[in-house]
Amino acid sequence: MVSSPSTIPSRSLLDRRLVIVTGKGGTGKTTVVAALALGAARAGRRVLGVEMERGEHLHRLLEPGSAPVGYEGRDVAPNLRLMRIDPFEALAEYLALQVGVRSVVDLVMRNRGFRQLMMAAPGWRELIILGKVWHLEQMRDASGDPLYDLIVVDAPATGHGVTFLDVPRVVVSAVRTGPLRRNAELVEGMIEDAERTLLLPVSLAEELPTRETAELVERLRNGVGIPLDRVVVNAVTEPPFPAGVEDLDLRLARLPSDARLGGLPAPAVLAECASHLRARFELNREYEAEIGERTGLPVLRLPFLFEGAGTPEAIARLADALLGTREAAAA
Amino acid sequence: MTPEAFARSILEQRRIAVCVGCGGVGKTTVAAAIGVEAARRGRRVLVMTIDPARRLADALGVGALGNEPRAVDPEVLARLGVPEGGALSAMMLDMKRTFDDLVTRFAESDAARDRILENPIYQHASDALAGSVEYSAMEKVYELCQREDYDLVVVDTPPAQHALDFLEAPERLLEFLDSRLVQLLIHPAMAAGRFGFRLFQRGTRRALQLIERISGIGFLEDISEFLLAFEGMSEGFRSRATQVRQLLLGSDSAFILVTGVGSEAAKQSLEFLDRLESFHVPLEGVVANRVHRWPGAGPVPDAARIAPEDEVEALRTALAVDAGPDEGFPADAAARAAIAAANGYAALVRREEREMRALAQRTNAARRFWSAVPELPKDVHDLQGLEQVARHVFRGGEEAGGPGDPDATSGARAGGTLGEAAAD
Repeated sequence: MVSSPSTIPSRSLLDRRLVIVTGKGGTGKTTVVAALALGAARAGRRVLGVEMERGEHLHRLLEPGSAPVGYEGRDVAPNLRLMRIDPFEALAEYLALQVGVRSVVDLVMRNRGFRQLMMAAPGWRELIILGKVWHLEQMRDASGDPLYDLIVVDAPATGHGVTFLDVPRVVVSAVRTGPLRRNAELVEGMIEDAERTLLLPVSLAEELPTRETAELVERLRNGVGIPLDRVVVNAVTEPPFPAGVEDLDLRLARLPSDARLGGLPAPAVLAECASHLRARFELNREYEAEIGERTGLPVLRLPFLFEGAGTPEAIARLADALLGTREAAAA
Repeated sequence: MTPEAFARSILEQRRIAVCVGCGGVGKTTVAAAIGVEAARRGRRVLVMTIDPARRLADALGVGALGNEPRAVDPEVLARLGVPEGGALSAMMLDMKRTFDDLVTRFAESDAARDRILENPIYQHASDALAGSVEYSAMEKVYELCQREDYDLVVVDTPPAQHALDFLEAPERLLEFLDSRLVQLLIHPAMAAGRFGFRLFQRGTRRALQLIERISGIGFLEDISEFLLAFEGMSEGFRSRATQVRQLLLGSDSAFILVTGVGSEAAKQSLEFLDRLESFHVPLEGVVANRVHRWPGAGPVPDAARIAPEDEVEALRTALAVDAGPDEGFPADAAARAAIAAANGYAALVRREEREMRALAQRTNAARRFWSAVPELPKDVHDLQGLEQVARHVFRGGEEAGGPGDPDATSGARAGGTLGEAAAD
């Protein structure tokens, strides 16, 4: 599944504590979050998948037909828990930790002026969500081991994704003292820690996503110091024809139109289907190479699935591709 | 209403067409194609995009930022069938700059303007301030409509999650500026003691104490200075925001949902429709983009199936005959690959048809403009490409091949299916 074994970093995605997944809208970033979370859970890791924005569909991919998950979270598979970090709930929890008295916090949270202020105020949502992720990463079980081996975050789409990661840095530079600054420093430390953390960009091998991914990587390198070590290129058409028949679509088009093929579609239809696949395959290869060149990062390729990526079977297949587990099992 | 009647209503009678939808569905391309088609119908059109693909931007002549419209060469337009009187301009919106302009316009004084623009919180945060940037995009639309240079302004919006913020943002911003807590931050001197905690109800008092305790005092001061500067703007801003809203939600504008037909894209569009309705946005049309069509006559084969051995044999023989006396030609592998390709493609088409039926049902397709644009073999990045997309959006792909063209037939069929689904 991977473009070539030598180009993919030897360090597995499973060796991180926190993987933040981002990508342009429509690239399948949530699908990648689901696949990574499921694959890691099946490999025996204790995994937490985190949704951030309302209307995301991570829970649906892992548990079709299920109700949205809330702040309290829900186990959706062995070793796999999902939660959605609502900024207001995270804020209430944080304030309660700071103040120590929940009733005071509830009073504040119900205050209309306070809610209006928070609805309009910039930046705090990102910070409080990242703060909660930090908190989750710090949690330990009874024997002192991390409660979660891996936390996978479905971050906002690229443009907003970068702003999101930049907030702690902005706070550290704008706020001089106090708990806010200290918390922002902790979060910033986590984001920049190559041992614990990885940002995983998801792209498609098409024009616009390629450009946006290149720009994302450049902005991250020049600003946010979050570790990067590969780009996931999603929905790449696999080589459609066997070796020696790379022009199968042309061959099919040459067949006499009255060729008797039993119950098969006419040669022209077979030719069109084949030609579509070939065009996609060639386009994908071209942009996949461009992504590698422009980002300077190894490319981890996920296959295009005709039947769609919205089923548990598809997610499991993508998990194998993402973690190389199928190859590992075969070896 | 016939599709043409819907098209005429949108292209020839409205002043604004707003394209909304999730990220990655080709909203910008569809917006530009709508612009080309309206110009072909003799209107003076402005297409306002937010983040076009570079080659598309070049084609439209908006490769460089500028935040001002630029006209497409009339000779080029004439070749696309744009008549005398029709015109097409395009601009790439610089949202931050538009918001700065807004501040400049409504600030009480030059000093107030500079205070806002130079405030560190404004610089870091104006693009995150409660949808204010999305709002400023709509404010620009309003301004351009007032200029009377254009008959129709086509707007490409940011991806769904943020697209509707512009409807909500002004109110939220004003409510925020009016709120007691903010007033307190702005006018700390009006009460006794720093921040006058005593004057206010217990909740507000606690809230301020808490903010101060957690954020540190310097932060509150920066915020209050930022808000103070904004306060003077609020009257001009308020009346303007009301006008913008009326224009956008009134009968002069049409909202068009652009959607993908992949399973997740379609689901996201369904959810987006709920939000549109909660804002009372009148949805005029739906454009399903990048739809795959079955190339054969008749419906797409029912279930993916491995072809029986004798059919593989027939194709294998045909391919071997075609290959001639090439001993090493892998006829069997080739035949199986061809069948796999057809099965895969059929599965894709079936899945998309399912998603489209669901979307058609949900959007009550029979009572709206509905069209499906086929997946084109190449990315669209010139005006000819846009004209081709426009043909698919508004004219059922006519001229693409003539009456016998299988594409046209399958297009008509897709339309029929949608109508039936909606009538159920």
